[in-house]
Amino acid sequence: MTLDTPLAAGLAMIAAYLAGAAGAVILPGSRAGRVVAAAGAIAGATAGVVLAAGVLATGHAFALHVPALLPTGGGLALRLDGLGAFFLALVGVGAAPAALFGVGYSAGYAGRYSLRWLGAMLNVFLLAMSLVTLADNVLTFVLLWEAMSLASYFLVMTEHEQPDTVAAGAWYLAMTHVGLALILVAFVLLMPPGAGSAFADLRARAIALSPAIRNVVFVLAVVGFGSKAGLVPLHVWLPRAHPAAPSHVSALMSGVMVKLGVYGMLRFALDLLGVGPAWWGALLIGLGAASALIGILYALMEDDLKRLLAYSTVENVGLITIGVGAGLLFASLREETSAALALAAALYHALNHTVFKSLLFLGAGSVVHATGRRDMNRLGGLIRRLPWTAACFLVGSLAIAGLPPLNGFVSEWLLFQSLLPAIGSPAPLVAPVMTLAVGALALTAGLAAAGFVKAFGITFLAVPRSPEAEHAHEAPATMRAAMAFLAVGCGVLGVAALTVLPRLAALLAGYAGLAAAPPVLTLGPSLALPDGFGSMSPPLLGLGLALGAAGVWLAVRLGAARGLRVGATWGCGRIGQTPRMEYTSTSYAEPLRRVFAEVYRPTEDLTIDVHPESRYFVQSIAYRSEIVPWFERYVYGPLVARVTGWAARTRALQSGSVHAYLAYLVIALLVLLAISLAWND
Amino acid sequence: MESLFAQLVVLESSLVLIFGLVLLWRRRVPAYVSAFTWQSLVLGAVALTVGWFGRERELYFIGGLLVLVKGVAIPRLLGRMERRFASEREIAPYVNTATSLLVAGLLVLFGYAIMRPVVAASDLPTRAGMPLAMGLVLVSLFVVVSRKKALTQVVGFLMLENGIALLAILGTYGIPLIVELGVFLDALMGFLVMQIFVYRIHSTFETIDVDQLDRLRH
Repeated sequence: MTLDTPLAAGLAMIAAYLAGAAGAVILPGSRAGRVVAAAGAIAGATAGVVLAAGVLATGHAFALHVPALLPTGGGLALRLDGLGAFFLALVGVGAAPAALFGVGYSAGYAGRYSLRWLGAMLNVFLLAMSLVTLADNVLTFVLLWEAMSLASYFLVMTEHEQPDTVAAGAWYLAMTHVGLALILVAFVLLMPPGAGSAFADLRARAIALSPAIRNVVFVLAVVGFGSKAGLVPLHVWLPRAHPAAPSHVSALMSGVMVKLGVYGMLRFALDLLGVGPAWWGALLIGLGAASALIGILYALMEDDLKRLLAYSTVENVGLITIGVGAGLLFASLREETSAALALAAALYHALNHTVFKSLLFLGAGSVVHATGRRDMNRLGGLIRRLPWTAACFLVGSLAIAGLPPLNGFVSEWLLFQSLLPAIGSPAPLVAPVMTLAVGALALTAGLAAAGFVKAFGITFLAVPRSPEAEHAHEAPATMRAAMAFLAVGCGVLGVAALTVLPRLAALLAGYAGLAAAPPVLTLGPSLALPDGFGSMSPPLLGLGLALGAAGVWLAVRLGAARGLRVGATWGCGRIGQTPRMEYTSTSYAEPLRRVFAEVYRPTEDLTIDVHPESRYFVQSIAYRSEIVPWFERYVYGPLVARVTGWAARTRALQSGSVHAYLAYLVIALLVLLAISLAWND
Repeated sequence: MESLFAQLVVLESSLVLIFGLVLLWRRRVPAYVSAFTWQSLVLGAVALTVGWFGRERELYFIGGLLVLVKGVAIPRLLGRMERRFASEREIAPYVNTATSLLVAGLLVLFGYAIMRPVVAASDLPTRAGMPLAMGLVLVSLFVVVSRKKALTQVVGFLMLENGIALLAILGTYGIPLIVELGVFLDALMGFLVMQIFVYRIHSTFETIDVDQLDRLRH
């Protein structure tokens, strides 16, 4: 028997991850253990990308069915089609640098927390995420999904002695299991009674279902997978759990795992359910727009660097969801080309977000590694102390803010281009929805730029605001290499859009509502949209910017020949510059806090101590401002209180008496027997 | 021949059940241990009877094992525990003797009701004993719930095991040997774990009155 390449790559992927996990368990605490864990993860990620690339290049799905494993649920069924292959590649792209970064980063945990379980769970987490994209029946999918959730929960709990971490873990566990419950119900509704639970059976069943049930399944899937993706109002766990995890794990959760929520939605909407009514798309656009706006608005107000990034993930998932929603809307209107463009833009943005958000989280990790702090009000001036980290973080910030020629610009441009033509659509509902979506997208893009000026500027520029920032040191080589890899990725994915976009359109071809042949989206050196609505050339743009930058550099050099003066930036003629004079994270966000006061409802607390002799001599000023976390206060607060109330009431059953517990068992047994007896007659 | 087999089985099953009922009116642990010993020996006899008339060679082996493990080994361990806690006797159970016997009667009737369809569907000569086995299972559960001393509860649990074994022998002429051995091992291990628990409870609370365990609740 010859081993064909996809099978070999698939088995190599599984074996590598398992070997990495085993290595971390066998060699805990040592450098060798960390290296083996990372090597296993990188090898697994590479094999995963090879497998995905094979499927994407040939267009033939890879299938592996092992009935002997999980015999009750139809066996372990794996099948990798285009959609799955894209997300498998995405997992690999995020996993390799995160694992590499972890070699240096997790050294700081030695002796404090368990490196054994950090390394092992990281590999298990990556393996589960990789295999979720291959699952081809309900049991396989649900088991792998749950393995992914649990492994990531354990990773979040790495710093288990911090009370915040424990609370974050509880939020995450609750949200992910509510999501799982809804996904399970969606699957059960789709499963044909009596027949198998393979995805092929589900597809066949979906055609026969009544529209009402299909709608219910769709909504359940959106809410269930939305809780994993972090769609508003199910996003509350992200800003808690992502910062609590070790930074390379945050990168994986924010960069990769939330995308699998998007994958689940796409799997249901494009594959299992088939084309639905137009409101499915409109619902997703609405959720996406809300997530994008609310995510970025809260990100702007954050002082904690990693929480800011987590809120920004909510925003980006919102953008991706807008693209997915637009794709579904167009598909239900039979506009196949527009649908393909919108979905390709969504996938492109998902990939780009994986790259730049992983980069930013790794950069934040490097900052935490160097200073031990996440509060931006205590950072500053790191560009001189961490030049590599600062350069990489700057690239990530530019990419996420959507500046050319980086990847964020291309995918956001594509998103705009896919939405704009539909504003004039004659179909009902479409024009207002699209107008709102474009407006939300534009506002979000602007606010995101402001947010990342803050993230980079406050953290890396100016003068250090704390001794820790003063004495920061650059990250070790493994961490720098991981960040550099992703920073290069941001540039490559931006400039190489001409090769990436047609491939994305090709892998989507043939799914529900999309044409069997992909639309042509390029013309010469430009991305050209089918109806001639717009065109843009990333390579030429990049070239122009490079020439422009070279020109500026040359001009500065020539100017330097005539004597260049170096002075303090914004010195304003002051002689002494102290950190107290700087913009802080809070003060930078102050104008926006006022503009969006209706949303934030800020509480302000200003205390001025004056000299007892004269009120014109101020001794100290303390200013505190907090914003009202709406969802926590008005949605989750009452909900949690009610659930805790019910739980407290069940304590009455728990008398602590063994006899009472035994009596419950016996009574339950007798009642069940009596019922079965009555049923029988 | 057939009717002799059926009558013997019903007689022995009734004895097994009656030894179970001893727990309801006696108050001293040695009486429980001897009741359990006799019950196990009769259970071994049931296995031998079914093996003889049903021509199931394996059942001889199982009967022998029953006698050895449940008729000799476990009673000896129980005796040792009893001597350790000699001062402790079952005082004032949750349900008094008269009510206990009434409840046990109702439970046996309930056992008959549950097993009626099974007995009706079965054509084995042993079918008449099955409701008695189910009755023993239910009565043993009742003992576990209503008695306060850990040692009494252990004996109740062991009798529950006997009831299940009896049901298996009567209903199917014995389950596959490997399963049977697994069940034996399970019961033995369960017993050993319970024994350790009883000792721990005693050393922690100075009593084996399980009632005191609710002090663990906070």
